[in-house]
Amino acid sequence: MLFFSFFKTLTNQTVTIELKNDIRIRGILKSVDQYLNIKLDDIEVLDLDKYPHLSSVKNMFIRGSVVRYVILPRSEVDVGLLEDATRREAANQAGKAR
Amino acid sequence: MADNEDAGATVAEPLDLVRLSLDEIVFVKLRGDRELKGRLHAYDSHCNLVLGDVEETIYVVEEDENEEEITRTIKKQEEMLFVRGESALTTICNGHRR
Amino acid sequence: MERLSLNENPPNAPQQRQPQQQNTLGPASQPTSGPPQLPPQMFTTAAQLLDLTDKKLVLVLRDGRKLIGVLRSWDQFANLVLQDTVERIYAGKLYADVPRGIFLVRGENVLLLGEVDLDREDEIPTSVTKAPFEEVFELKKKEDSQRKAGDKKRHRELSALGFEPEHSGEILF
Repeated sequence: MLFFSFFKTLTNQTVTIELKNDIRIRGILKSVDQYLNIKLDDIEVLDLDKYPHLSSVKNMFIRGSVVRYVILPRSEVDVGLLEDATRREAANQAGKAR
Repeated sequence: MADNEDAGATVAEPLDLVRLSLDEIVFVKLRGDRELKGRLHAYDSHCNLVLGDVEETIYVVEEDENEEEITRTIKKQEEMLFVRGESALTTICNGHRR
Repeated sequence: MERLSLNENPPNAPQQRQPQQQNTLGPASQPTSGPPQLPPQMFTTAAQLLDLTDKKLVLVLRDGRKLIGVLRSWDQFANLVLQDTVERIYAGKLYADVPRGIFLVRGENVLLLGEVDLDREDEIPTSVTKAPFEEVFELKKKEDSQRKAGDKKRHRELSALGFEPEHSGEILF
């Protein structure tokens, strides 16, 4: 649930998503769910000539499983907080496994 | 619950090694002919990752004039990157603070 | 589940999953801090698809097919029903439309769903032109087999470096 919470803190930020088929899409992160499916608004497809089928698309729902990377705005990520949350989640997981 | 406290220093399961690499430079080998090197800021049990100051290396195979296959690499830089866990093959922890 | 509520939750509400997770990134002492104070039901698959209901969508499937149709129904797995569906195939600089009717798509085969901007719907990029189906289909067959051969070569070379293909056996397009 760590990354679900993490992405929720990034809603309304501009992110770029790279899919496993190399398409890069920039847009405003509107929503995320527990599978890390992502909803982007006002999208812009980088290298649109290669992917003409997305030419008139404005908002997009992307299945979490086809995401390779999400490129994040560094200024919006509190690295210290994120590392603490990661340690906390790891401790929770370890507790559960026992 | 008390276990969570002393879980800090020990390596009881594989992902504990990843936990000890938080805020360190790590090397990640991915599916789809890619490698990443960057500072590890977050991970979860699916091996989803957040890396900072990332260098991405993409391996491309091309044919030269003698129709021999040659492997070339492309490098890219990103400030902050979320990596989907299913893509990760191996994570190597260098353990050196920059 | 109860471990997730370790830091910030009263012990009497352990079963409400979403609200508790809202702030797991925030400091433990301020359970209501953090900028996005949207209701937790915003962050479900259903909420994401609700906005797209009855809209004209482009659907890209795992096997590379592109369908254009109106989303009429869906569930939490993103299984979808599309009405008045047209399959648009692309090859080289050509494309062709094939009317398909009603589609029920199993969620796991969905790659992405794009809402078509009706004002810009007819602005087809100059890089592609419409052509008869047969012509585009033949060209596509050729392209696919070329790509397959190329992929095979690439994987042979790169497996020596310890790489695995991203999506074994599937074309993701």
